[in-house]
Amino acid sequence: MIEATGLTKVYGEKTAVDGVSFTVQAGRVTGFLGPNGAGKSTTMRMIMGLDRPTSGSVTVNGVPFAQHAAPLREVGSLLDAKAVHTGRTAYNHLLAMAATHSIPRKRVQEVIEMTGLGEVARKKVKGFSLGMGQRLGIAAALLGDPQTIILDEPVNGLDPEGVVWVRNLVKYLASEGRTVFLSSHLMSEMAMTADHLIVIGRGRIIADAPIGEIITGKGQSRARVRTDQPEQLMRLLADDGVSVEVQDHELLEVTGLPARDIARTALDNRIMVYELTPLQASLEEAYMELTKDEVEYHSLITTGAAAPTQTGGQQ
Amino acid sequence: MSTAALQSSRPHGTAAPGPSFLRVLNSEFIKFRTLLSTLILVGSTVLVMVGFAALNAWGIGQFSEASRNDPQAAAAFAAQGADLTAGIPTSGIAFAQLIIGSLAVLLMSSEFTTGMARSTFSAVPKRTPAFIAKLLVVTACAFVVTVASSLLAYVAATPILDNYGFDIDLGSDHSRRLLLVSGVYVAAVAAIGMSLGTLLRNSAGGIMSLVGLFFVVPIAFQLIPGEFFEEARKYLPDSLFERIVTAAPAEDALEVWQAWTWLGVWVVVPVAAAMIILKKRDV
Repeated sequence: MIEATGLTKVYGEKTAVDGVSFTVQAGRVTGFLGPNGAGKSTTMRMIMGLDRPTSGSVTVNGVPFAQHAAPLREVGSLLDAKAVHTGRTAYNHLLAMAATHSIPRKRVQEVIEMTGLGEVARKKVKGFSLGMGQRLGIAAALLGDPQTIILDEPVNGLDPEGVVWVRNLVKYLASEGRTVFLSSHLMSEMAMTADHLIVIGRGRIIADAPIGEIITGKGQSRARVRTDQPEQLMRLLADDGVSVEVQDHELLEVTGLPARDIARTALDNRIMVYELTPLQASLEEAYMELTKDEVEYHSLITTGAAAPTQTGGQQ
Repeated sequence: MSTAALQSSRPHGTAAPGPSFLRVLNSEFIKFRTLLSTLILVGSTVLVMVGFAALNAWGIGQFSEASRNDPQAAAAFAAQGADLTAGIPTSGIAFAQLIIGSLAVLLMSSEFTTGMARSTFSAVPKRTPAFIAKLLVVTACAFVVTVASSLLAYVAATPILDNYGFDIDLGSDHSRRLLLVSGVYVAAVAAIGMSLGTLLRNSAGGIMSLVGLFFVVPIAFQLIPGEFFEEARKYLPDSLFERIVTAAPAEDALEVWQAWTWLGVWVVVPVAAAMIILKKRDV
């Protein structure tokens, strides 16, 4: 279990992580979702004791990571696929890490096989593709057979087969009762992998809920309506908590009213409706909705020159 | 790639080995010897030491030949006697210290430039044991490489000197002191180098600072007129080394124990600063 309380990290003028509190439970995959620069990596580095929080604290199984007697056996992490000296072979890298905890060579060989690095293990990391680097990082994370696994963007650069493998691996690890915390900026990946989501934007937690709940949003139903008389219907539907958006000629999107009520209103007022589709938000939409004000880098294409709009550096 | 292989190893909750100092030392030694750059730099140190000794032996021989017709030069030459040849095995030390010192900078700065530091300090989150272990590996290597290459240099220089009727008395007090003090001195340079690598976290910057301290500053101090620079020069590490090994010190020279103390200060201050900063700064 990972517990963060009021975790804050300030770099100069910029607050990368702003008073974040959350709990990552054992036995399920917890996704850490947010746009680039939202503070995911900074938070993970603070969990691993690599960055010192400006204020607040974070513990792993009740103890700050650095206080554990055998850190590698407690928490395995992939923070950055490039956390390797590229002049060393993958095998020697793992061997040196294993040596700190007297992890036997047999286990080193095991994680190499497990991550499919067998053929390249004796080659220098310099020549590795991004995907191979990710596999090596995951191998290093699993080395100590840890109870808690933290993976920062593990599927970055992986081929489709590798993506499926990571997905199955983290689910399997969670099913064994381990704590699995993985970050991504890809909502589609999270939808496939995570049981629980913590969404972060500009250093603040925006949502912390089971994935199903985040997709349903605040329980508001939405429906797409096509009708001959959009203006009349809009007027009739207008009520507290109901918003109607004109999407196109004769096409409306109604939020906050079940499809059944829309049909009833239309029938009562003899308005012909030729499409009525209840909409379920995809995680992608939910995510966009949650983070629309929080993204750090907006793409902005203007006629002529594209204006740079970023407001700060990525941490 | 199956997940089945995960079903393995220890039951959770048992006290399993953590990063004890000896384990961290072993890890740092594995890291040290599995880099090609280490082997190349150690190899070049040996080459430089042997090469300079051979060249020096040949030069001394040539000079003695030439001075045979000049009784004054011959007398001066004879007065220096055995001390002259005793310095031959360690004559390449000015360059060896820079190569080994750069190696020491690189071993730490590369941790940060490659991102390896994140792995290292995840495994040893208290950080200080990893620093001390690396320091031990680096300084021990510096000492061994310096002494071993001096001995090799002796072996290479002896037949050349033999041609001119000279030899090196390796058993003499002066020779033995030169050998040991050279080893300790290069180890000290390595400790300073590793500290610079830790403080600057940058390979080029670390090496440039080291070269500045051991190559540029001594020369600059010699060139700049004024008593202050003349006095200050005595406290630079390479002058302290010269003072410790010289048999005939100048009148206003430091005492040997003073020179050792100052050399100690040169090591302890950067090492302590590096350890404090390493512990405090984000990786």
